[in-house]
Amino acid sequence: MLVAGALAPLPLGAQVSLGAQITPVLTRADPVPGGSSLTELRFTSPLLYGTVDVLGARVRFHVTLDGEGWTMPHGELATGDFGEGWEDRRHPHTWAHELLVSATDLPLLPGGVHWSLTAGKGFAPYGTDDPMMRPALIFPVNHHWAQILERALAILGARGGPVTLEGAIFNGDEPERWDQWPNWRRFGDSWSARALVQASAAVELQASYAHVKSPENRAGAGPDQDKVSVSARLERPLGAGRIYGLAEWAYNAEAAGFFKFYSGLAEAQWSRAAHRVYLRLERTDRPEDQRVFGNPFRTVRPLLESSIIGITRWLVATGGYGRALTPARLPVHVEGIAEAEYAHVTRLTGLFDPAAQYGRNDLWMFSVALRIAAGGPMHRMGRYGVAAGGGPSAMGHMEGMD
Amino acid sequence: MTHLRRWAGCALAAALAACSKAETTGTGPDTTGVRLVATVPVPANYGQHDEFLRAGLAFLCSWNTGLQIYDVGDGRAGGSPQNPQFISRVVTAGGEVHNAWWYWAPDGQKRYVFVGQEGPGAIGSSSSGDIHVVDVSNLSAPVEVASYHMAGAGTHNFWVDEANQILYAAYYNGGVVALDVSGTLSGDLSSRLISQIQPGGAGDTYVWGVMLFNGSLYASDMLSGFWQLGLVHDTLRVLGGGNNVPERYGSDLWVANGYAYTGTWGTRAAVLGNAVKIWKLDSAGAPLLHDSIVTPGFTTVSDVRVSADGRLLVFSGEYGPSAGIYFYGLVADPGHPAFIAYYPLVTNNQNGIHTVTISDIGGRRYVFAAEDPPTPAMLVLDVTAISP
Repeated sequence: MLVAGALAPLPLGAQVSLGAQITPVLTRADPVPGGSSLTELRFTSPLLYGTVDVLGARVRFHVTLDGEGWTMPHGELATGDFGEGWEDRRHPHTWAHELLVSATDLPLLPGGVHWSLTAGKGFAPYGTDDPMMRPALIFPVNHHWAQILERALAILGARGGPVTLEGAIFNGDEPERWDQWPNWRRFGDSWSARALVQASAAVELQASYAHVKSPENRAGAGPDQDKVSVSARLERPLGAGRIYGLAEWAYNAEAAGFFKFYSGLAEAQWSRAAHRVYLRLERTDRPEDQRVFGNPFRTVRPLLESSIIGITRWLVATGGYGRALTPARLPVHVEGIAEAEYAHVTRLTGLFDPAAQYGRNDLWMFSVALRIAAGGPMHRMGRYGVAAGGGPSAMGHMEGMD
Repeated sequence: MTHLRRWAGCALAAALAACSKAETTGTGPDTTGVRLVATVPVPANYGQHDEFLRAGLAFLCSWNTGLQIYDVGDGRAGGSPQNPQFISRVVTAGGEVHNAWWYWAPDGQKRYVFVGQEGPGAIGSSSSGDIHVVDVSNLSAPVEVASYHMAGAGTHNFWVDEANQILYAAYYNGGVVALDVSGTLSGDLSSRLISQIQPGGAGDTYVWGVMLFNGSLYASDMLSGFWQLGLVHDTLRVLGGGNNVPERYGSDLWVANGYAYTGTWGTRAAVLGNAVKIWKLDSAGAPLLHDSIVTPGFTTVSDVRVSADGRLLVFSGEYGPSAGIYFYGLVADPGHPAFIAYYPLVTNNQNGIHTVTISDIGGRRYVFAAEDPPTPAMLVLDVTAISP
C-alpha cells in the first residue's frame, strides 16, 4: 500500500486522514455480447483517498485519486452496466475522482443552523452513495441514474437539526475518458438539490432532483435529463453484528420526458466479526445506443442526433459473501469476497434485441475478489460540508479477524 | 440475385481508412481522383447533418446551429464550390435541423425552404420532430413562417412533387405523409394534410425516406423494406414491393434509370447495414431485388445518391474503419454498378460521412458531404475526374 495513517496531527494544526485500497477481481460473465462467455481479471478501485482538516475542521479538503485508467483501461465486466460510452462494462473512473474543498460555518450562523460551501470536482448532491462504497463488487445497472459523478461543482449546504439541504451547480457533461476534465465552459449549466433527513441514529431519508444538460454530448447538443431520486438507508448494530440496508427509487426523464427510465433497488448486508453477507435486488431501465464497430462493449461517442436504438429492462439479483482474512490489529486489511449475479433482460422499445445481442435473455456473472485496504476508513464519497456528518461508508466498517 | 462484391482495392482502402483521417483543410487525398476543394467547419452542436444543393446555393442542415445558406456558385456573394460564402442562418423552432428542400413552385416562386427537424426517437418504435417552413424571399434574412406537427411521430427525409405542389415526407413510425404546399404557407399546416400511410402497418413501419419517380412514390422503410406507393385520388396506397429486406434494416434510397438503390442501417441480428440493395423496377414500377453491393468495414449506408445524368452512384458509409464515400459507375449496367473510387474518411476512429449530395456547378461535378464529429464540417469534393 502506498500510504497508511489516520487523523494524524500536523504542526500547523491540520489533521490528515489517508487511506488506500485496491480490489483484484476475477469475473466470469456468461454470456457477454455475442453470446460467448468471458473471464477477466481486473484491478478495480485502486484508490488513494483522504481528507485534510484545518481550522478545526471548518475547512476540509477531500481527495480521491482513482487509478482505474491505468489498471483497467478497457473497463470491468459488468453485465447490464452502462454509461460514459460503455455497455456491459463499468467504465474506468477519472483519475481525479474527488478534488474538493469545503468551508463549514465560516462564519457561524445563529440558531443552530450550520452551513457550508464546497467547490471542486466530485459528486453532485444527488441520489445515493456511490456503489464503490457499498457492499457488492459489481456495480448496479442504475449507477448513472442514481449518482451524478465527476463534475466541476459548487455546493451550498445547510443543516438544522436532523435536516440537511444541499444545492449545487455543475457542468452537465460526463467524462468520455478517464483522463478528461470537465468542460469548464459548461460549468453552471446544470443543477441539483438534495434533502437529507436523519430520522434516527440509524435511518437516513433522502430525496433529490437534478436537471442535467446534455450529459452525453460534451459540446451540449444532446438531450437534457431531469432526475429524481428518493431513498431510505439503515445502518445500525444488530445483536453482535451490524445491519445495513438501502432502498432507492430513481426516475430519469430525458429529452423533456420523451424517454423515461425507472429504477428500483434494494440491498442489505449483515455483518458479524469477520463475516458479511449481502443481497441486492434491482429493476432498472437502460437506454441502448449504437455499438462501436467491432466492439460491442462501447458505444459511438460523441452521440449524433438525439435518438437511441431501444430501451431494455434489467431484473438483477446479486448476492455475495465476504470474510476478513487479516486480524483487525494489522494496518492492512484484506477481505475475500465471492459474488454471484443473475440478470434477466427484456426489450421495452426500439430495435435493440437483447436475445440477439447476448444469445439469450438470462445472464450470469460470478466474481471472486480480494479487497485490500490500509489507513483510515473511506469517507462517504459525495458527502461534503454539512452533509459529511453521516459517518463512513457501508464498507468503512470492514472488520478484521479477532 | 445477391452477391458479395469484393472489389480489388477494398483491403487497401480499409487500411487507408484505418490509419488515416482525411485532411479537412486544404487539399485532401487525390489518389482516387477525388479532390477535396473546400471545407466549411460547422460548430459541434452537434454538427453537420445534410445539405440541399440547388442553383448554386447550398442549404446546410447544421443541427442546433440551424439552417445555413451558402453561395457555392450562385454568385450573389461571390461564392464557388472552392470558396463557399456564407449568406445567412436561421434556427427553426427546436433546432435539430436535419434535412431541407428549397421548393420551387410551378408559378416560379422560390419562397420556401422546408426543413425537417429530427427530434428524439427510439429507432424502430417512436420518433419526434416537425416540418418547419422557412420563408427565404430575402435570402439574407430567412424566417420561419409555418410548421407541421404530427402527434406521436417525427419527420425524416422529404421529396417534393413541385409540379403538383405536394410535399411527401417520410415520418418514421408515422409512415409517409403527403402535404399540400400550394399557395401561401403560414402557421399550423395540419389542415394541409392530404394523406398518410404506414406501409408496413402499425408496429412495423419506420420510414427513412421517400422519392418520386415516374409517378410512383418509393419509400424505404427501416423495418418492412422497400415499397412502391402512389397517391390515388388523394389517398396514399401501396402499389408494390414491401417486406423484402428481412435480414437488414433499411436506410436511404434513390431511384434512377429504371432501378432503385437502397441503403441499409445498423445491425440486425448480427448482420451489418453495409449493403446497397439494387432493385429493378418492372413495367408497373414495382421493385424486384436485382443485386447488392456489400462493403466490409462499416455499419451503415447513411446516404445514397445518383447524379442527375444517371451515370454516377454515390453512397456514404458510416461507423467503422472503412467509413467514407463510395463511387460507382452506372453507365455500362445500372443494374450492376461498377466500382470507381473510395474516399476514406474516418473520424474519431469510428464515424465518417453522414450524408452526400451531388451537384453539377460550372461544368464540374461536386459531392457535398457532411463530416461527422468531432470535427464536423461540410466537405466539397470535386469528382469530375472520376465521373463516367
